[in-house]
Amino acid sequence: MSRKGVGLAAFDRSRITSAQYASHGSSLRSTDASAFETQLSVFRSLLQQFAQTHAKDIRSNPTFRAQFARMCAAIGVDPLTSSNTTSSGSDKGGGQSIWAQLLGRTVNDFYFELAVRVVEVCGETRGENGGLIEVRKVRESLMGKSMEGAPEITEDDILRAVGTLKPLGSAYSVIKVGSKPYIRSVPKELNTDQSAVLEAVQVLGYISVSMLMDNLKWARARAQTALEDLVGEGMLWVDAQADECEYWSPGFMLESQRQEAAAG
Amino acid sequence: MQSAPPPFVFPREYSFPPFFTRQTNLTTHHAQLVKWASLVLTYCRHHRIFKLSLSGQPPVPTPQATPTTTTTTTTANLDITTPTTTTSSSSSSSDELFHNRKLNRRLSLADAREVIDFLRKDGRAEYVAGGGSSSSKDSGDVAWIYWRTPEEWAALIEAWVDETGQKGSVLTLYELTQGDATRGAEFHGLDPELLQKALGTLVKRQKAQIFGHEDSQGVKFF
Repeated sequence: MSRKGVGLAAFDRSRITSAQYASHGSSLRSTDASAFETQLSVFRSLLQQFAQTHAKDIRSNPTFRAQFARMCAAIGVDPLTSSNTTSSGSDKGGGQSIWAQLLGRTVNDFYFELAVRVVEVCGETRGENGGLIEVRKVRESLMGKSMEGAPEITEDDILRAVGTLKPLGSAYSVIKVGSKPYIRSVPKELNTDQSAVLEAVQVLGYISVSMLMDNLKWARARAQTALEDLVGEGMLWVDAQADECEYWSPGFMLESQRQEAAAG
Repeated sequence: MQSAPPPFVFPREYSFPPFFTRQTNLTTHHAQLVKWASLVLTYCRHHRIFKLSLSGQPPVPTPQATPTTTTTTTTANLDITTPTTTTSSSSSSSDELFHNRKLNRRLSLADAREVIDFLRKDGRAEYVAGGGSSSSKDSGDVAWIYWRTPEEWAALIEAWVDETGQKGSVLTLYELTQGDATRGAEFHGLDPELLQKALGTLVKRQKAQIFGHEDSQGVKFF
């Protein structure tokens, strides 16, 4: 009889307790949220200042640029998209547009310009590589062309630049072959066998039917088909003067040039 | 480290083995032809080769132009261009051009002809009539490589004549390409036959007149 919590009042009590917990929790949440919002707005304004003062560094220093881009991404500010997408957290419309303008002059243009040059490289080399080029090769090609003292470009920059092309509905996309990122400038899907072949080609620069049979345990017909498909797409070159037909990745043309330059 | 011209630097694709095999994919093949065409032009320009023999035979030396005084020669007598290449007995130009010894890869004669045909469409090459011997079997083995077209050569000569104030005066063909006065001009050492072609375009435009006999021809510019 005297045990607590058994009577009807116990139900009331527990209801009251849980309601109190809930109200306290929500008040905690709201204070947390407002605190976070304040922090975020403070941080944004600091970031804005930061971008303003370091605009030059952002343009010229690749590691700095990458860090900055990562930082922006982490707090939900994408320097590459237009200003509208991040307007929710800000109550000052004017400040927002300055923010966008500011970045527009520094980071945005940098990536757009880079994107144009990436498109140029892809277009120039499409005939020899079938529209699939390793990001590293694009970088080499861009660095080779640019003048002395031009800002250094990283692969990260190139990937971001290709990302800026997305709103144009273009065919440019980044795909992974093995562990390496490639830019694909023709709208084609690679099947798994083709990807496997391209991955295998990365090792030596070339591959043959028997190498595929040995290493991937493929039947001859399968290896032959995959290779011929890729030749048909213009993504591999045939060397018929070897003992066995060798299928070369056009990316290795750039490679050999570097070796040549180092040797000579 | 002598006064000899610097060795020709082959482009990256020259060390790419499939470059020497005709590609089956049409787009790839076109890219290949474009690369070969530009390689042939830059190679010939570098070595001042006017006539290229495709079959690997050294180009036929031209009758009157064999000066040993200058570095410019019409026959392709080449130094080794890559450090690892060993000097070969036949130092024919097209042999080195179409045959990468280091890789042991060779562009076949048929494929080389295709490159020349590709250049011809651009007006950058022309088969030498007769091609060394008159039989039809051999025709198409020697080609003019127009890293400058006859028109371009003509323009250079015309500009030089204009610059040096020799309009209206008569010059011998020999002195145009071999004389001291033109030393340093780009057309110095020009193949005599090519000179004829170049001057021919000027004659057609009534900017010049050629007279004289086989060996002692002169030209007057208007």
